[in-house]
This record gives sequence, C-alpha cells and structure tokens, in this order.
Amino acid sequence: MKILTLTTTLALAGTAAAATYPLTLTDDLNRKVTVKAEPMRIISMVPSTSETLCALNVCDRLVGVDAYSDFPAQLSKVPKMGDLYTPNIEAMVAAKPDLVLVSKYGKVSESLAQAGITVFALNPETYDEVFSKLLTLGKLVNREAAAKALVTTMARDIAKTEVLTRAAVTKPTAYFEIDPTPYSIGPKSFMGVLLTKAGARNIIPESMGDFPKVDPEFIVKANPQLMLGLDAKTAAARPGWANLSAVKAGRVISLPAELSSSLSRPGPRLPAALRSLARLIHPELFR
Amino acid sequence: MSTGTPSGAAQRLRRGARRWPRTLGLALLLVVAVILGTGLGSVTIAPGDVLGALWRGVSGQELAGSDVIVWSIRLPRVVMGVLVGAALSMCGASFQGVFRNPLADPYLLGVASGSALGATVAIVLDWPRAAIPVAALVCALGAVALTLILAREGRRFPPTRLILSGVVVGSVLSAASTALILRGQDRARLVLAYTLGDLGFSGWRDVLTVLPYVALGGAALLLLARALDTLQLGDLTARSLGVPVERLRLLVVVAASVATAGAVAYVGIIGFVGLIVPHIARLAFGAGHRTLLLTSAVLGGAGLVLADLLARTTALSQVGIVTTLLGGPFFLYLLRRQRE
Repeated sequence: MKILTLTTTLALAGTAAAATYPLTLTDDLNRKVTVKAEPMRIISMVPSTSETLCALNVCDRLVGVDAYSDFPAQLSKVPKMGDLYTPNIEAMVAAKPDLVLVSKYGKVSESLAQAGITVFALNPETYDEVFSKLLTLGKLVNREAAAKALVTTMARDIAKTEVLTRAAVTKPTAYFEIDPTPYSIGPKSFMGVLLTKAGARNIIPESMGDFPKVDPEFIVKANPQLMLGLDAKTAAARPGWANLSAVKAGRVISLPAELSSSLSRPGPRLPAALRSLARLIHPELFR
Repeated sequence: MSTGTPSGAAQRLRRGARRWPRTLGLALLLVVAVILGTGLGSVTIAPGDVLGALWRGVSGQELAGSDVIVWSIRLPRVVMGVLVGAALSMCGASFQGVFRNPLADPYLLGVASGSALGATVAIVLDWPRAAIPVAALVCALGAVALTLILAREGRRFPPTRLILSGVVVGSVLSAASTALILRGQDRARLVLAYTLGDLGFSGWRDVLTVLPYVALGGAALLLLARALDTLQLGDLTARSLGVPVERLRLLVVVAASVATAGAVAYVGIIGFVGLIVPHIARLAFGAGHRTLLLTSAVLGGAGLVLADLLARTTALSQVGIVTTLLGGPFFLYLLRRQRE
C-alpha cells in the first residue's frame, strides 16, 4: 500500500504546475510568513511534519529534524536538533536552513526569527486539520499536486477501513488511554475520530475536551467493554478496576509501539494506523 | 509546671470545658469532609447508596456498580487525603515549633526534593508501583541526613544553618530530578503529576503502605509536644529547664521526616498544607503543642479531602494545584503580617 501511495504521488507530482514564489501564507501562530524561494534546506521540528515531507518526496531537503522524528528510516541519517522545548538553536542556525517548520508550542520560533530565518508554525490537531495542513505544507515546498494526491489516497484508504467497520455487528464501548496519569482522547480529536472510525464507541463525551485528564471513577461508571493503550496487568491493579467488563473479558489491549506512535502523529501513516486499530478492535472483520 | 496540683487539674478541666464546642466542631468538620468526599465526584452517589456500599464492603458482600466507586476508589482516596493532610500539617506545626519560624514547612530540610528524586528515579526507570514509596522514602531520609551533616556544628544544629543547608540540598536534588525528567521524556507527565501532588489512583494497599510511616512519625511528634512547648522559651531557657535541645531538635526532624516521606510517597508533593494549616489551628485552638498537633492533624486531614474534592470536580484536576492556589496567597498574607 505504501509503495502504491508513493508511486501515485510521484506520478501526479510530475504533472504539477510550479508554485510562484515569493509565497505568503498564514501559519498556526497567526503570522503572515513569506517564503522567498522554493525551500531547499528545511529543518522540521515536528515528527509528523518530517514524515509528511518524506511522503511528498522531499525527504532529501531535510538538513535537520527534531529528536523524535524517527520515521521513515532514512531520517536516522539527518542531524538531530533537539526538540521543541529544548531546541539546539546553534546547530539549527549553523545548518543554514531556508525554512524551519515548528509547531505553535515550544519556544523555537522567536529566537530563530531574530536570526533572520524563515519559521513556519504548522500543527494539525483536529481530524480535518490533518488534511488541510498537509495541503498547506505541500504548497510551502512546491509539492501542491503531490499533497493533493496524498490526501486523496489517505481519504480513500481510510474509507476502505470505514466500510469494513461499518459492517461490524457490535461496536464495543472503549476507553483509550494516552497517558497513565490518566489522560484520554475526546471524540473530536483526530485520534478520537479514528477510534470511532475503527468501530468503537468512545466513552469520553465531547464536553470533556480533546485530550482530557479523566477521573478514574468516571471510567468505572462507564464500565467500557474495551480498553486500549494500557496493559491488562496495570488495569487490573488499579483500585476498583479489576471487575470492569474489559478487564474481566481480557479486552485490555496495549498498543504495539509502532502503532501507538503512528496513531499519535497526524501524518501520512494515519490510514495504516486506523487499519491496525480496527484490526485490534474487530479481528473478525479481517479474517 | 503545676500539673500535679489540684488547682492545676481543676484549671485544666475548666479549660477543657471551654474547648468542648470547638473540639466537637472540629470532629464534625472531619466527618462532613469524609462524607462529602465519599459522596460527591464526577459521579454523584446518594448518601443512602454510600452507606449501603460501605456496609456491603465491610460485611464482605460482592460490590457492583457504584459500590465499587465508593468502596474501592473514593474511600481509599479520602482516607489517603486524611492521612496525608494530617501528616503534613502535624509536621508543619512541629517544624514551625522546633525552628521557632512561622514560615517553616515539612519540606524545609529537603524531604520533598529527596522523595521527589527517589520517585522520579523509580518512575523513569519504570520500577513497579510498590517500589515508588520505598525509593521516595530512602531518598527523603538520605536528603535529611545530608542536610543534618552539612548543618552540624560540633554537636549542635543551629536552626539557621539547618534551614540554609536544607534549601541547598533541596535545590541540588531538584536539579537532579529535572535532569532525569528531561532524559525520560515519555514519562515526564507522570513525574510532573507527582511533583504537582495527585491523590488519583490511591488504593487500599497504598493507604496501608503509608499508614505506618504517618502513625509512627505522628505518635513520636505527639510524645515530643511538651518539650516543644518548652523550646518556645528559647534554647537557653529550655536548656536550663533540662530539655536536651539538640537531641530534641534531631528527634523532631527525624520523626517529621518519616511522616512526611510516607505522606509524599504515592501522592507526591502537595504544597502549602503543612505551612498554612498550623497557623489556622494556632489561631483557632491555641499554641500549646499537644493541642496544636492534634487540631492541625484533623484540620489538615479535612482540608485536604475538601481540596481534593474541589480538584476532581473542577478543571483544576490535581489536589496539589488547589492547595497551592489557595495556600500561596495565604502565605503572602502571613509574610506581610509578620513584617508589620
């Protein structure tokens, strides 16, 4: 599937009309940023952005990435420049980038902007933003057609899984833990949308927000049939959780590391992540 | 010292009679806090159901539905709140007495940063949950020992040197914790929750682990209460009255450190309770240390349960955030009042 995506992308990229520079776009910090010419030396400080750039076939333009950018494998050769909260500004300036991509969080943009480097903040948070921000990124690096093609492929692959899960006879109520303190995901967050698309009913109501800290007793009251993101032993050891439906039925599933990372990154691997998630929730549909 | 004489006994009896209503009020406050803490939350449970759940739990019947919430989640959380609040407040009162400094708190000698370092090591290295308090306790006592060694002047422990050493040891250990947190990024939030103080996920087993430390430390402090009273007259006078000042100071520090280390083992560092509660208790019930320690314990226990209730029913989410938001301004008020 990945190879198919890539070839489609490449085929379409060849026919794309070139963007006109200088190009002015509004970023996620609400600043109007002007990119003077097609960026050829890019630093990406957000893992999903690095991934998307590679999917748009401009991986070789990356002269620096953040410490967490670990996919695809070829990024391991790109110099690491800290992360959004402890950035290695000196290394970043020394790499002479013509574009640095950051998120609206962290403290990278100001010091770099002072050094006269073009900084663009871009971080998708809702499901729709995953696609709209991907298109913006495509525009920025002059790969607009490739970005459109990637979005189309992603939407198609997501729809394929959705068709499968729609056929599910029962949809379990589910609790998805992203952090053991515990934090979960709301139905409006991009992860929450994927959880629903994977054929589960999220126990977290919309009113609790996108990534809420959850009161343990709320989870006991909701008594989910399925728990994702923690292991069975941890769940059973928590006060009052041993008798919950999911724990008793052995439906507590800790996500494989690769799935948990691809699922949490709003980038080109989301369709594949959705498929793996749906397979965990509804193995019967994938026989 | 008229304790043995008849007139002294009568005097105490009269004083006791005058204190009756206040003592009753204090006991009522604790009961109300426990009932509210057990009945309210993200899920509201009627008082009758709370009592039913308690009975089913005590009589060993099977728990289902809201019974589980009351018996396995809320009640241990409330009991943990009482234990921790009581421990921190008693230790605060003792520290304020032993250093004759109204702004002293149970974390003064590096207990908090020591236990935070221990807990951080355990959390970052993914040790089992049972190992967290052990690591926290060992490091807390280690931090206090280090502070005492640094502050020692011959056989004496001058308060100013103790406090300064405590501050330095605390800062160094905090820096070590922070370095560890930055290395163990994916567990950073777990450590952050600990350093902000959180009663979530407190179970009966945790309560039973913490109980002996708090009981032992608290009982020792109560035994030392009369000597603490004498110390308020100043080191010289106390010494001339036969109080072994240096040994007393050491005993109080060790006892308070044991109780504090136990208190912070699972729930983390809950700020300002140990600083503020003794002041309120002193204003309302007087400054004699036996009374002060007991009333601080009850007030602190009730207060922390109510603060936790506020935390889990609002967006403040963690009890340490609530106590800091309420305690910070009160601390500044104390500071201003002291200057005037």
